[in-house]
Amino acid sequence: MMKRKNRLLMVVAVTFLFVTLSACGNGQKNSKDSSEKTTITFWTAPNPTQLKYWKKMAANFEKANKNIKVEVSQMKESPSSEATIQSAVASKTAPTLSENINRSFAAQLADSKAILPFNKEDTFSKIVTNRKMTESIKNWQFSDKNQYVLPLYSNPILFGWRLDVLSELGYSEPPKTYSELLELGKKLKAKYPNKVLWAKADGDLADPTAWMRWFDFFPLYDAASGGANFIENNKLVADDKAGKAVFNLMSDLQKDKLLLTSKSTDPFENKVSVMIDLGPWTFPNWKEKYPELKFGENYTVTTPVVPDAMKDKAEISTYADAKGIVLYAQASDQEQAAAMKFLDFVFGDEKNDLAFLETTSLIPARDDATENPTFAKYFEENPEMEVYAENVKNAVPAMDNAEYNDLQQILGEKGWVPVVRGESKPDTAWKDMKNALKGALQ
Amino acid sequence: MKKQNNKLGWLFTSPYLLFTLIFFALPLGWSLWLAVTDWNMMSPTIRFVGIQNFVAALYNPAVQSAFFVTYKFLLLFVPLAVAMSMGIALLVNGLPKLKGLYMVAFFLPYLSSGVVTSLIVKGLLSYNGAFNTFLRAKLGLDIDWLGNPTTAIFVVSFMIAWKMSGYYGLILISGLSSINTEIYEAAELDGSSRWTTFWRITFPMLYPSLFTVLILAVGISFGIFTEVYQLTGGGPNFATNTWQMEIYNQAFVNLKSGYASAIALISSVVTFASIGVIRKLLEKWGERNGWS
Amino acid sequence: MVGHKKKSGSLALRYVITTFVMLIMIFPFLYLVLHSFAAWDQVDRQIIPTKFSLRSWTWLFGNSSTAAEAPWIGAFIHTIIVATIATFLMLFFAMMVAYALAKINFKGKKAVNNLLLFQMFFPAIILLIPQFLMVSKVGLLDSYSGMIIPTMISLWAIFMYTNFFKAIPDTLIEAARLDGANDWTILLKVVLPMSRSITTVIFLFLYTDRWTNLLWDMIVSKSDSTVTLNVLISQMFGPYATYPGPMYAASVVLTLPLILLFLLFSKQFQKGMQFALK
Repeated sequence: MMKRKNRLLMVVAVTFLFVTLSACGNGQKNSKDSSEKTTITFWTAPNPTQLKYWKKMAANFEKANKNIKVEVSQMKESPSSEATIQSAVASKTAPTLSENINRSFAAQLADSKAILPFNKEDTFSKIVTNRKMTESIKNWQFSDKNQYVLPLYSNPILFGWRLDVLSELGYSEPPKTYSELLELGKKLKAKYPNKVLWAKADGDLADPTAWMRWFDFFPLYDAASGGANFIENNKLVADDKAGKAVFNLMSDLQKDKLLLTSKSTDPFENKVSVMIDLGPWTFPNWKEKYPELKFGENYTVTTPVVPDAMKDKAEISTYADAKGIVLYAQASDQEQAAAMKFLDFVFGDEKNDLAFLETTSLIPARDDATENPTFAKYFEENPEMEVYAENVKNAVPAMDNAEYNDLQQILGEKGWVPVVRGESKPDTAWKDMKNALKGALQ
Repeated sequence: MKKQNNKLGWLFTSPYLLFTLIFFALPLGWSLWLAVTDWNMMSPTIRFVGIQNFVAALYNPAVQSAFFVTYKFLLLFVPLAVAMSMGIALLVNGLPKLKGLYMVAFFLPYLSSGVVTSLIVKGLLSYNGAFNTFLRAKLGLDIDWLGNPTTAIFVVSFMIAWKMSGYYGLILISGLSSINTEIYEAAELDGSSRWTTFWRITFPMLYPSLFTVLILAVGISFGIFTEVYQLTGGGPNFATNTWQMEIYNQAFVNLKSGYASAIALISSVVTFASIGVIRKLLEKWGERNGWS
Repeated sequence: MVGHKKKSGSLALRYVITTFVMLIMIFPFLYLVLHSFAAWDQVDRQIIPTKFSLRSWTWLFGNSSTAAEAPWIGAFIHTIIVATIATFLMLFFAMMVAYALAKINFKGKKAVNNLLLFQMFFPAIILLIPQFLMVSKVGLLDSYSGMIIPTMISLWAIFMYTNFFKAIPDTLIEAARLDGANDWTILLKVVLPMSRSITTVIFLFLYTDRWTNLLWDMIVSKSDSTVTLNVLISQMFGPYATYPGPMYAASVVLTLPLILLFLLFSKQFQKGMQFALK
């Protein structure tokens, strides 16, 4: 009798454990449904300042809309934000909205029906008019005539220069052409053998990760080619002359040991390198971590260096880091409505764009960014940001190809990295890379 | 003889058996099925592709790297871990006092997370960090630790050896302390040198413990993930691309669950066979020398 | 006399060497703590920082002009919940199963034993993808249960307990049985109190492993509401790359509880290890 009772007790205990455990998981989801509030989730870019901005916006919005809760969290970057979104879509855990989507990735998401067209929502045209995006939104239309992305910002990628080190080498302004750059490099090595010309902000120059090329190869290539397309309509149309020129430059720099291929902590800020690829999002970090860096005093920002023949060209192209917001198809109707309400709230007021500019130092995707008086004072106080705003018009966005990630990986592995590591000759690497890309595009 | 109690036995083992059914047998079967499909986790249709995944995997340079990289880790990490733990054990064992304190201190690295270790190593090996600045200034050495295939694999092996050596050291210490000290005294009287004493007496008696350490270390070399994922991403040029890293990448980055399952299957067979062979060889080696 | 002198001299030298090696071994921990308190211009720039500040710590918990507060505290709590529940389940089930394998005579015991050994040597990586698919199919993705349930049985713990229980004399158990105790009571009242030190050892190993798990927690946890501290640090590796100081502070938060726990139980642990290593 005793024995049986205890056995029973144990079976109950074990089942109980299983049940409570599985209830834990389901319980969380049930409680979401049972509350009257609509909860939407918003993923921000893996960038601390953007997370801060969106948390503030969500809090402001929730104050005015008590029945909607906006959960803001940072998009995971394991190993890339794109992969995180793809696996979230696959496992049905995608957010309602997310930012940080460029045109090519949006094309890929739209292809797999993971995101919804905005133009079906009435609020969208209202947002476009209110936020003065009528012109720029045209570039974002997709081949099926739909608008899948609400553009948020567009940043030209420029180059930062250490004016203090340059002046020690007898320069009053940064070099503009390849030969000037190489000459600067020789002087630099003569005086400071441990310094390099170019070290990358995030990671290293020899990292084959696909998105890295947006911040090294493409700015140089866009400058050298005057903004020519690299891949168009699923065909390789790269400007050979410009591409080879860029690879030759990198090879020359590599030979003179002017490139840093290992990881380093804030190389430009710590004067390890004289030049760096620079996006405007770096400035808030500098204000916090390196307040001694002052625009015009010890650093400046310019467009990329160009081949010698382009010496006198006034407008120089570069790569545009342009990203926007998308609405995921997994959201329920109720969530979609709440999401549009949230976007309308954020973009209905210019002051929010100013707050965006101030918090994140990213250039809002508005037609009137440089003219609107709301932003005038900000640009006056932040002249480095004005350089970025001025160059928006010459900035070329990411390639229009859903396979861009694989393609850029090939560009890195077969072309850029071997050159930067000095493992292959620039012209050979260019040829190898082209062949590999052609193979992948078939 | 004890009397049989079948019901009770099965009841007590039921959590394990149930778990094995749900989380071992079922996934195993599922994995075998996935390996012959092209399913990508998103698509609604699953297509049977036969051995196509396996063929593709064998031709994939990343998979080939994973195969060789594992043995490179084995050849670097295992000797490193054994040497470090043996050093610790020999240092600590003879101490008359504070032995416990030292043992605890040496065990602490085992409590570290690979993520944190990677963070520290990244900081230490930064181009403008103290260590590399010192190497450049004093020795004129400019080493790209994680960018060079040889040094990258060494750094990762060393990180894991650091973590495990205290634990392995404990195993060896328990082996050492079971050796009767009278044997040493006898050896000393015989006038044999320390070196001979170690090889003639200590080593054979230590062999069972050493065997445990070797098997554990070999097992570790086939399952390296965290440090590689965090620090090198499998690079440079797949030089540190382990099986786990490749499977993770294919399954959770490229979302090719069918292909990844095929790679996982290959890796399991390779791992199972390799560990089996190594085990047998170690046992043979021990027997031939009469150590075990 | 001469020999004695020489011995004590070499002994002192041994202590010096051992201490030196020990300092090198625990240096990474010191580095972590020191650099979490170092002034920002010295973090990673000097081996031993000389200027100190609390900036990394206050930055980590939201006092930053650039970054929003990351869910560090939440992640810490999630880690405690997941690691604690999972470890206790592992211990509980391991004890139960091991008791049966060591002390109950039943048909098929040998088969269960062999299955256990086979599984222990089976490369578990092949199970990863289907286990993930299973968890997501039953809707346990991004939940504590999703992290806990698939990790609630430890083969190693069963193995260790079985070996330990086998060493407990059968007569003890028979005596308890004669007193009218059933197996459940015997396990809890007789066997468990005897296995305190081995339980400490198994607990510490399991807890450490669960606390610092990366791969499984990373693929199951999808949002800030479940993320564990180890996963969060891993995810912040890139975005916070220019803020190593706060990252070291977060790492201290991750590592310190394990070290404290270990030091707290170190006496029991040493005792338990002596058995475990036989």
